[in-house]
Amino acid sequence: MNKTPEQINKDLLRPIYHATWRFYVTAAILAALVAAALFAWGYQMYYGLGISGLNRPVFWAFYITNFVFWIGISHAGTLISAILRVCNASWRRPVTRCAEAITVFSLSIAGLFPLIHLGRPWLFFWLIPYPSERGIWPQFRSPLLWDFFAINTYLIGSVTFLLLPSFPDFALIRDRASGWRRKVYGIISLGWRGTPKQWHRLEMAMRIMAVAIIPVAVSVHTIVSWDFAMAPVPGWHSTVFGPCFVAGAIFSGIAALIVAMALLRKLLHLEEYLRPIHFDNLGKLLLVMSLLWFYFVFAERLTTWYGNFPGEMSVFWSTQIGRFSPLFWTMVFCNFLIPAPILAIKKLRNKIGWTVVASVPIIIGMWLERFLIIVPSLSYKYLPYNFGTYRPSWVEIIITIGTFAAMGLLYLIFSRVFPIISIWELKLGMPKKEAAPELTTQEAAAGQTQAG
Amino acid sequence: MVIDEDRCTGCEACVAACHAENNIATVGDDEAARGRALHWIRVERYYEGDFPDIRVKYRPVLCQQCSDAPCEPVCPTYASYQNNEGLNAQIYNRCIGTRYCANACPYMVRFFNFYNPVWDKPLDLQFNPDVSLRSVGIMEKCTFCIQRIKSAEINAKAEKRPLKDGEFNSACVQSCPAGAMIFGDLNDPESRVSRLSKSNRGTTFLEELGTHPKVVYLKRDTWHDEQNA
Amino acid sequence: MNAIYGLYPDPGSAQRAFNVLERAESELGFSGKDIAVLSGEPYEGYGFGQRDNVTRMPWIAALGALAGGLSGWVFVAFTQKTYPMVSGGMQLVTKWPNGIITYELTMLGAILTTLFVLLITARIPDWRGRKLYDPAISNGKILIGVVNPPETARAELGTMLRDAGAEAVKEFTN
Repeated sequence: MNKTPEQINKDLLRPIYHATWRFYVTAAILAALVAAALFAWGYQMYYGLGISGLNRPVFWAFYITNFVFWIGISHAGTLISAILRVCNASWRRPVTRCAEAITVFSLSIAGLFPLIHLGRPWLFFWLIPYPSERGIWPQFRSPLLWDFFAINTYLIGSVTFLLLPSFPDFALIRDRASGWRRKVYGIISLGWRGTPKQWHRLEMAMRIMAVAIIPVAVSVHTIVSWDFAMAPVPGWHSTVFGPCFVAGAIFSGIAALIVAMALLRKLLHLEEYLRPIHFDNLGKLLLVMSLLWFYFVFAERLTTWYGNFPGEMSVFWSTQIGRFSPLFWTMVFCNFLIPAPILAIKKLRNKIGWTVVASVPIIIGMWLERFLIIVPSLSYKYLPYNFGTYRPSWVEIIITIGTFAAMGLLYLIFSRVFPIISIWELKLGMPKKEAAPELTTQEAAAGQTQAG
Repeated sequence: MVIDEDRCTGCEACVAACHAENNIATVGDDEAARGRALHWIRVERYYEGDFPDIRVKYRPVLCQQCSDAPCEPVCPTYASYQNNEGLNAQIYNRCIGTRYCANACPYMVRFFNFYNPVWDKPLDLQFNPDVSLRSVGIMEKCTFCIQRIKSAEINAKAEKRPLKDGEFNSACVQSCPAGAMIFGDLNDPESRVSRLSKSNRGTTFLEELGTHPKVVYLKRDTWHDEQNA
Repeated sequence: MNAIYGLYPDPGSAQRAFNVLERAESELGFSGKDIAVLSGEPYEGYGFGQRDNVTRMPWIAALGALAGGLSGWVFVAFTQKTYPMVSGGMQLVTKWPNGIITYELTMLGAILTTLFVLLITARIPDWRGRKLYDPAISNGKILIGVVNPPETARAELGTMLRDAGAEAVKEFTN
């Protein structure tokens, strides 16, 4: 890519200044869906969880599915940004900011679901450790408290990770803007000037953050998986849940990232920045994760079937040939049988359309996987007298759709406030033209003259 | 508590008594069909054999008040914890309705108020004043009629004497016409419940899960009897 | 505060200008820290981009992590001991669950400490007064100049900067 810095600035800042009618129409539709979801939630808070499809024994269903799903999607940003930063992979540069944005927004949405699924959501703040008038603190032995700490740490870390490299880009916009934009970006760029000292501190901070955020991300989804694994429910109480969920999260996160990048590329005309090589590389990662997912599911199913515990076999057969089997086999189809062959063929992987075709089923399949972990185990829990069923109600369906719309809406707004590609990092990765080799400062100080 | 399955007739007087004692609402046909009935004690029926040689087994299931209760450590607000008498206490005011305890309980003895409970008139006049009413979003379960235990303890303390065995009974135990349920202090080695819990007819429910329940089920070993007959 | 500076199109000429300024500092009466460098991206490979690159940030972040972890453990153990409620037959102060909370607070300590150290040492936010800046930097130009030069040296500095390859030599006053 041979572009001058001015050209890059112009291309990547265009979405911030110009919005077509398509943007406003899409935003309006998404906002309407979000409003519908908020209405449904309000309705549920007023009348009680009875209007959802939850019952005894299936006390957790759609809301917790969505919760785990969105936390899973949030692993996109961390993997791409942090691990690739640590590994110094140069192809990461156009991808990092849109990935980090996915993380921040999906985490925020995921964080809503513990509130939505509470019986008395107005008392959610009792999970916050503060010296309360009730004379007790929260129970730190509960995995839900571990969730609270882990998700908040990850959210704070992700927001920091997103904002830190944004200051130079805000300064860029400040320099080129006028009027209210200049004022606003002037404030949020925090007076960034670009002295070597500032650059050093920023890069050091990014390095520390990249190293720190990876274990946090791994711990977050492990702890979310322990919401299930800590309970003696057949199909839940398995030691493999931690690694299986983290792998599944990275899997769904990369798929979501590919879809987001493909959309951005199309809608914001970023064809020269998000190139097939990026999709090729992400596609390779996605293939590895698909194989890893298959490995985990196979290992878990095999040990369950071989072990033949009566409690677990009811759950097992219900997913393999029983009531939940259509969903289960759809999931295997979506997560492995469609994507793995597509991504394994280099010719297809190099075409952006095909990687998107591989990624969309993965998002569906991973949502189904979360559902199939929760509901069959609760429906067939130990005592046949108490087996149950579950059917989602309109409230749960609308809220689920609403959160997807909320993600889209937040991302849309994000693309108009932040440059969707990190401009200074992109420029940093481009080869520089050199006029003539230059003496370093030390050589000059030592009085050497330039060789002819 | 000790429940003698050889004596249980499946009459469900215990269920009715529990509803009356603990102000449990009936949820209505539709909600019960959706699986949201609030029977703190239920009688499970298992049929064996084909007509005309059908045998029925009855098993009243209530909160087992486990010593190593899986429902306790998962509650984020300490609404479910072990009090110093060994009961699994449910503090309604602390409950924010995460329903994690219900998922963790292998016996399915925990119940959630999906709606605000309603009582048609004049049933709203028959509440037991010793038991608080639960509102929407709160988990509830059998408390071993802790209000009766406490009231007996208070009486005994006022009269400066220890509790006598048989002085207090939960509502279900009191109402059982077959005398299939026995209640008392497991710490007292002389009490009926202590002696019966050591019977060789005794097992605990889902013993392999390691919850160490305090409810012992007595049942004659009919399988071996049939083999040896 | 006033300054005279040149805008350079590539790092090579910027380094030339920097060398020239460094050689001339004692002659013309300004010190090394009056030399100003501003750029739109970091230039690690060049001398002018390596100023002020010594930092204790990782150590401070590690300290912050330690502080976070310790305070987490103490807090959790303290609340579990002073408000003792038994659950699930577990001990009051459970090592492994407390360990998880301690771990999360350790990482949070590291993250927040890094953020604060960055904000403090990079001196951002910095909205006071007008500091030396030129918007051309965001178009890839590198600014090399002298802040508060002695009046007598001004003209000579301008020539030096221009000779080193500046696209433009400007003055800045606030």
